Amino acid sequence: MHDIQDYRAGGRSLPWPPSARRFADLVGDLVPSLPPGSSPTAGEVVDTHGTTVIAVKYNEGVLNLGDRRATANMAVMFDRAEKVITLDDYTLMAISGSFARGMEIARYLQHAFKYYRRTEMQEMSLEGKISEVSRAIAGNLPMALQGIGAFLPITSAYDPKTNEGRIFFYDGMGARFETAEFGAAGSGSERIRGAFDYIIRTRKPFRAMTLAEALRECLILLDIAADLDAATGGFTKVLPIARAITREGIVDIGIDVMRQAVAEVAEGGRRRAEGEA
Amino acid sequence: MAFTPYDWNQAVQQRMDYIEERLRDGSPVVALSLPDGVLMVTVHRTQRKLFEIYDRLMFGGIGNQSDLEAARMAAIDFAHREGYQRSPDDVTAHRLVGSVLSPAIKRAFADPFSAPFVFRGLFAELGDFPAADQFFTLNYDGEFRRETLYAVAAGASEAENRMLALLHAHVDQATRREAALRLALEAWAVGRLHARRAPDDEEAARPSDAAAVLQDALATGTLEAALLERHSRRESRFRLLARAELEPAVADYRRGAE
Repeated sequence: MHDIQDYRAGGRSLPWPPSARRFADLVGDLVPSLPPGSSPTAGEVVDTHGTTVIAVKYNEGVLNLGDRRATANMAVMFDRAEKVITLDDYTLMAISGSFARGMEIARYLQHAFKYYRRTEMQEMSLEGKISEVSRAIAGNLPMALQGIGAFLPITSAYDPKTNEGRIFFYDGMGARFETAEFGAAGSGSERIRGAFDYIIRTRKPFRAMTLAEALRECLILLDIAADLDAATGGFTKVLPIARAITREGIVDIGIDVMRQAVAEVAEGGRRRAEGEA
Repeated sequence: MAFTPYDWNQAVQQRMDYIEERLRDGSPVVALSLPDGVLMVTVHRTQRKLFEIYDRLMFGGIGNQSDLEAARMAAIDFAHREGYQRSPDDVTAHRLVGSVLSPAIKRAFADPFSAPFVFRGLFAELGDFPAADQFFTLNYDGEFRRETLYAVAAGASEAENRMLALLHAHVDQATRREAALRLALEAWAVGRLHARRAPDDEEAARPSDAAAVLQDALATGTLEAALLERHSRRESRFRLLARAELEPAVADYRRGAE
């Protein structure tokens, strides 16, 4: 730990040339390095995984939705997992893959963003935040290569410069891709990817939908993912968690709104199943 | 090099005189607990003086700018390291001031070979309700004091006592934000007036002097007020009040407004 004298201009260990303070310098490496020669296999360490998460744009920003299931191999480990995490007042991260790494990286990013805001007395730029997420994923790579801890998030943000919601997804090395309309990650996401396009082409783009419309479409998509992927929990037992980002900040979708939307979607599903509609 | 007790006493006294003289001209900081949250108020000339430290902590102070900055950075570093490695709930003003900053500042003060901190800081911690809010004032010699409901940091202890007396008498009526702002401004002016007066000035200050001090200060400086919001749903509870929110409280003191 530094002595307070080190913080004063001209102090003994003030770095020169000066560089911006980084949260990483304060708390050390995010990922504990594995001892050399160790190679845990999936049989030795069972990693709990979060399953399907969805992000779509809508007319006021971005909506994120996730089921509540976390699985470890074939076991349902937890059915109240929260996979849509508020990083700061304008940024959400929906996590899939290793739950342990996902939660830890989310905590790290929350602190990195607020540390920057408080030390520099200005908000970190959106570009800066997105890169910080990339760095966290890239830092996780050595673990992921050994078969545990792989984790892929979707980052959503409200961009104050362009006045619109933005969605980014990543590959395992930290490359980030910006999507125009939607993003999905987790075990059920591949099964429903085409359905997003179908909705855009046959109904309307997500960005033109109201929050209620977007929520409804996302719940249907989650329901389909749960039908096609054994690890996705859907919404029949435990209500999904949804959060939105607008110009005014993060909006938690309340339990009543969610219950109502789920009831409507479930009713539609039941009618189709019984051939009424 | 050896010090006799006489040298040591004298060295400490000289340090104190030097620091007290330099603090005397500092713009006081006033903090109050409101149902809305914790309000901190000062008047600055050019630089911001009130800072966010952590989720429920803020800081304001008087003294040398780079010493204040060193304390601010050390506080932010401690809070974030602790908040990340343990939990945000483990970051308290009591730990920050009592076990991190106070010993370090005391060490700098007592070490004859280092420059002492020209520093008097006020840390505010937001609680779940006003009586749970805590204030810590930290002095250049490492001494700190815990207060509740209101606290101040000013250029001289006589000035601080007068400010505290004023706050004590009127704090019950200042539960709304605008009333609290007015009260804080009055306290600020009293502190400013009395800190600048020579210690041996026997002539009593008149209330109109404080009003004149405030009028002067607002003509050449800027009112700065920060709020840690108690009932916010936002992640960040700290915000500086906007000009429009401050205007009703300062309108009376603006020159030429009448």
